[in-house]
Amino acid sequence: MTDVVDLAPVQAGASRERSWLNHAAIFLGLMLLWEGSSHLGWLDPLFFPRPSDILVGFWRLYITQGNIWGHLGLTMAEVLAGFAAGSLLGIALALVVGMSDRIRRYMKPYVVVLEATPRIAIGPVIIAAFGFGWTSKVVIVMLVCFFAPFVNTLNGMVNADRDQLEMMRSMGASKWQVFCKLMLPDAMPEIMGGLRLAMASALGGALVAEFIASNAGMGLLINQYTGVLNMASAFVCVLTLTGLGFAIMWAMEAVDRRIVFWNDRESTAEVSKRLALAWAHRNGDLA
Amino acid sequence: MAEAILDTSREARAGSSRPAAVIRARGLSKTFGGGRIVALKEADFEVRRGEFISLVGPSGCGKSTLLRIVAGLLDHSGGTLELHGSPVTGPRNDVAMMFQKPTLLPWRTAVENVLLPAEIAGKVGPAERKRALDLLGMTGLREFAFSFPSQLSGGMQQRVALARLLQTGADLLMLDEPFGALDEFTREHLNVELARITQEVGATVLFVTHNIGEAIFLADRVFVMTPRPGQIAKIIDVPLPRPRDPSIQVTPEFNALVAQVRSTLGGH
Repeated sequence: MTDVVDLAPVQAGASRERSWLNHAAIFLGLMLLWEGSSHLGWLDPLFFPRPSDILVGFWRLYITQGNIWGHLGLTMAEVLAGFAAGSLLGIALALVVGMSDRIRRYMKPYVVVLEATPRIAIGPVIIAAFGFGWTSKVVIVMLVCFFAPFVNTLNGMVNADRDQLEMMRSMGASKWQVFCKLMLPDAMPEIMGGLRLAMASALGGALVAEFIASNAGMGLLINQYTGVLNMASAFVCVLTLTGLGFAIMWAMEAVDRRIVFWNDRESTAEVSKRLALAWAHRNGDLA
Repeated sequence: MAEAILDTSREARAGSSRPAAVIRARGLSKTFGGGRIVALKEADFEVRRGEFISLVGPSGCGKSTLLRIVAGLLDHSGGTLELHGSPVTGPRNDVAMMFQKPTLLPWRTAVENVLLPAEIAGKVGPAERKRALDLLGMTGLREFAFSFPSQLSGGMQQRVALARLLQTGADLLMLDEPFGALDEFTREHLNVELARITQEVGATVLFVTHNIGEAIFLADRVFVMTPRPGQIAKIIDVPLPRPRDPSIQVTPEFNALVAQVRSTLGGH
């Protein structure tokens, strides 16, 4: 095992290229196997559409009919709005609660009870209250996105380093300065972790909410296509959501690296270089 | 140089051959747990301007407690404590403290960390920025001004902390085992630098350590402290000339002082 690891850096360039080719070959092989076994009658194309049918489905849903765009846009809007509202509420509430031990003590039982309740179980209740439209979906995503940022922010606030607190105090920092200059940035890695968790569950929350009852959105579209056994189109929807999930994950990671740059060696070096240039630009005579 | 770096104008310098006492403690004590635990028992001492005082002793002797009381981070339970003639009621801007951990903020570059005291005081202008860079130069880190703490070694991080300490403008510096977590070579090197810098800026220093050699090497006077209850058992003068080279640590004079400290500590 060790000698494989040791050789890795030397052959990195060549082997990365080769592994790309391997991946492509394996993928193509699997697709052909799938296509072939469907033609040979091993797989029922009624439930497992052929890759070629799915490709045609992409063309139909995105280009000729173009009906997926509206649903996709709506679901994305629900996810973003619910995520923004839920996580902001979670972070804001945690900041307030984190300020005082007493508030934290009295809030705790409610937090525990709410955390134990599966958020999606409240889904039908929310839909009954807010209707079949997008409002109820945003509220459900909001509920799904509330807890991780709330709990993580609270943890981050409580865990501030004792020595750093004393250092700030010895400089005569006010409570507000300690909060802005130490507690908040110090809690940032945990807050970002909470946001990533929230974002990861936001899309699922929106889809389940749309499955329950809705008049538009990707969840509805999947329900409709499977209802008439148009599996190729349903697969197009699922694969689209896979892509969306990837995009969301990638975006959150990029944001995370940007905000919590000091936990990442490369980003730290980059920011360091940028700040040196900015400083030289501003105080040309000093630097 | 001293005038440029530190505000020592609080007291008249002229007309006095012997510097005035800037720290005055009378019967200073600290108890915990409703008086049951005596962390510091009736300390009486005066520190003159520009003096370097080492507090040495085993753990539990109250040296860190004493330092934190002077820094205003701990209240005292009895006695009086005056800095520059006024009683201590909390953290104040003529006292600054440095810790064993660098306590740098990891999301700030070295120079931004050095500027923190100025930011907290609400004044960051071109003058403060220039001074932050100058102080980094003084601690030998000018070219690392824009590095983040994670890009610096432990010794370099403590140099940044030292520059930040000086940026406060305080002339009473409380150092709580500042190089205690570093390796022996780095520590000795930084001690020489510390002696040079504090002398250059004319600071008055209380330096806590449990290393006897280090205590004597740096100090004008060594306060030898003993535990249960924590107290100043003896004050020993260190008449060695300055600047001091690490090689003085093998001279008979130095070893006599070490023996003196040891015998005080051994009696307890």
